[in-house]
Amino acid sequence: MERHARMAEQLIDGRVIEACQQGDREAFHILFETYKDKVFSIAVYSSGGDRDVADDVTQQIFLKLFTAIRQFRGDSEFTTWLYRLVVNACLDERRRRRRLLPWGETTAMKNPSEKKPQEKQFARLEVAEAVREAIGELKPKFRLPILLKYIEGLSYEEIANVMGCSKGTVASRLNRGHSQLAKRLSHFNNPAAWGE
Amino acid sequence: MFSRHVTKQISAYCHGELSSEESKQFAEHIISCVKCRTKFEEVKLGVKLAEQLPQLSAPKHLWSDVEYLLDTPRPAPVSSPLWSWPVQVTAAAVLIVVLSFATLWFQGKPSIPRQRVPEISLNPSWQVTRIEGTPKIGTEQISKNGSLGVGEWLETDENSRAQIAVGLIGHVEIDPNTRVRLLTNQPTEHRLELARGRMSAQIWAPPRLFFVDTPSAVAEDLGCAYTLEVDDHGASFLHVTAGWVELGLKDRTSIVPAGAACETQPGIGPGTPFFLDASLPFRAALSSVDFHHDASVRSTSLMVLLNEARARDSLTLWHLLPRVYGSDRVRVYEKLAALVPPPPGTTREAVLQLDEKTLEGWKLSMEWGWIGGGKGKGKVWSKFAQDKDVLSEREKKMAPK
Repeated sequence: MERHARMAEQLIDGRVIEACQQGDREAFHILFETYKDKVFSIAVYSSGGDRDVADDVTQQIFLKLFTAIRQFRGDSEFTTWLYRLVVNACLDERRRRRRLLPWGETTAMKNPSEKKPQEKQFARLEVAEAVREAIGELKPKFRLPILLKYIEGLSYEEIANVMGCSKGTVASRLNRGHSQLAKRLSHFNNPAAWGE
Repeated sequence: MFSRHVTKQISAYCHGELSSEESKQFAEHIISCVKCRTKFEEVKLGVKLAEQLPQLSAPKHLWSDVEYLLDTPRPAPVSSPLWSWPVQVTAAAVLIVVLSFATLWFQGKPSIPRQRVPEISLNPSWQVTRIEGTPKIGTEQISKNGSLGVGEWLETDENSRAQIAVGLIGHVEIDPNTRVRLLTNQPTEHRLELARGRMSAQIWAPPRLFFVDTPSAVAEDLGCAYTLEVDDHGASFLHVTAGWVELGLKDRTSIVPAGAACETQPGIGPGTPFFLDASLPFRAALSSVDFHHDASVRSTSLMVLLNEARARDSLTLWHLLPRVYGSDRVRVYEKLAALVPPPPGTTREAVLQLDEKTLEGWKLSMEWGWIGGGKGKGKVWSKFAQDKDVLSEREKKMAPK
């Protein structure tokens, strides 16, 4: 599955982007199909697991992408440019929600899946679910590099370009993000918890 | 750079973002620095957890929603005092988006050229170098070099040998008549399966990054060099030449330091570790204690073993405590306490009840003796030093006077 996604990404070459810049709806659709799951995943994890909010954010990101793609001049990688849009949209949405939330209300991660998987008894799924929740509780500056690393598979240099910071900062934030995840989920530091 | 602590580089190390030289220096530092190693274990757990983060699927209706927004010009919002400025700006932006797209849309629809791309390998392989003969990866013979992908078998016949580079963290030499498979190749887990034959590993990574599955136990590297052999029945023999290896199967674990060895048996798991310079009667008795089906034979063998035990064999006696019961456990305790007195505060009851903290404390007081260190462990070392015949020259020099 991941391989297909990567191959699809390879299809987004200069000509597809050029067609998008000329308003080709079919080209937009290819672009959308290629990146929709990754963009949506980041939106879900960034919105505390609220799929409705993530739906809206993902729509806005693609609308913005389709409009602004004419301004893309190829100075950077297309994916860097796209993920910069994604990161900014997620941060904007978070700021907006913080303004609207009453004092004291938290944005703890809701369960992103409406139905819990039937196979939840399997240890690995429990781990995945716990990680989803813990990711939602991290500060955005630690959460976003983790999402870009593990959902998008970006290198440190690519993450640095997307976030507009140095590679060292990316390394440091990932380090702190990993540490915080480990501390919050320290009970998984046991092979039995992984079904091993 | 690496003479100082390396905690800031841990994630970069786990993700393969350090150069080969930096990785090696990182590993060398972390093996000798308890502080960095503790932090490494924490971050490594964080990496392992983050790797479980699933990519979610966007809802199917998303494209039609986006198309609807693209196609439907929405009326401009009526200005109202209830509207905050961000909402007005957002609405204006949406309108601009829609209008802009409509303009683009009517400019025409060029066809989309598509380009086939080569398939990307998502399972980075390990380099294999032929040492002699004709080793095979799958059914392909290696003439000079080859690559071992996840799930692939490397097999040597009676005349061939090969060396595998374990990512950036070490290498494994494969002896004749051996069959190994690459199971996992991830930054935090490098795992081989040794189905039969013999391999020698040299790993310079921090602990618990390299694993070897055998039919009767899993060998977990704790920063070391070792030889591991599996016979046709699935039994294995581990000999550690540097550092430590942990052998485990379910809840049975043996920690084996340099100079020591350990047998494993299918269905039982790891036996008790022992130093290779132990007497032959001691080793024969231990094999019976570990694997003989008859309880009376095991009990008799235990008596022989205790009679033969030296201070250095505290490694074996400490491991035996939870593996024997009743009066046998009392006998093991008394012999061990006579050879290496337990640290102050350790009670006989706590040991016999296998209190984890108590056993760990006693082990810590003995560990330096097992690995040939010993600063500050004068009491234990003086006991070890009495076994003059079993200490190497280096160990004798290091032992406190």
